[in-house]
Amino acid sequence: MPSTPPPPSGPDSRRSRFAEKLLPGGAEPDPRFTLANERTFLAWIRTSLALLAGGIAVEAFTTDVFPEPIRRGLAVLLLLLGMLLSAGSAVRWLRVEASLRSNRPLPLPLIGPLLAAGCAVAAAVVIAVVVLA
Amino acid sequence: MDEDPATAPLPGDGPLDGDPGLQPERTALAWGRTVLTLIAASAMSLRWLPDQGPFVLAMFGLTVAAGTGIYATQRRRYRRSVEGIRAGHLTPDTAAVFWTAGACVVLGALGVWLVLS
Repeated sequence: MPSTPPPPSGPDSRRSRFAEKLLPGGAEPDPRFTLANERTFLAWIRTSLALLAGGIAVEAFTTDVFPEPIRRGLAVLLLLLGMLLSAGSAVRWLRVEASLRSNRPLPLPLIGPLLAAGCAVAAAVVIAVVVLA
Repeated sequence: MDEDPATAPLPGDGPLDGDPGLQPERTALAWGRTVLTLIAASAMSLRWLPDQGPFVLAMFGLTVAAGTGIYATQRRRYRRSVEGIRAGHLTPDTAAVFWTAGACVVLGALGVWLVLS
């Protein structure tokens, strides 16, 4: 009777050198967890895209609302926040995947507080300029 | 084995997707929403076209190309996740994650450059 090969030698387990380097050791987790991690990454990416869209929109559509330096500052703040969040979401995906591979508890999302703080600053600027000025 | 992954039938018979949690379908939809958001975000920059000229078109073209790339690999990705769930192991799509995050960082960087120029 032929012995069934262990999962790591199956057809879908050929990992690229890139994946091997980024996620060494451990074992492939339940595929459902891998897909869930991918969807969570995509949700963070969409959040960062919303910030990027906000930054672009502030610069492109609010010429009559904000004085130029504030408009530019706000746009750059939102764009930088979106960039940080995009990069951070890839790091978060990697850390979660590494935890899944080695059965460790999932890491806390550092990008959560970053998003909250950035949005608070952006909202404060808008309130100060539009409502109080 | 030599079948073109883009046109080959999905594995198994009966229901396309043996996972009651519909994970392959939800993941494919999440990628689809991300493509739409990416293109919508960069489409806003077309408002800059009168001031900034063709550079804005190039930026928009870049995100449309990235979105088309994701869209073109959707079927392969769906098939891969169905097979992965059936086999009980699935290699993470590291390249797709890093390319997508990279495209968003580049979009943001071009945006900052346009705002400051």
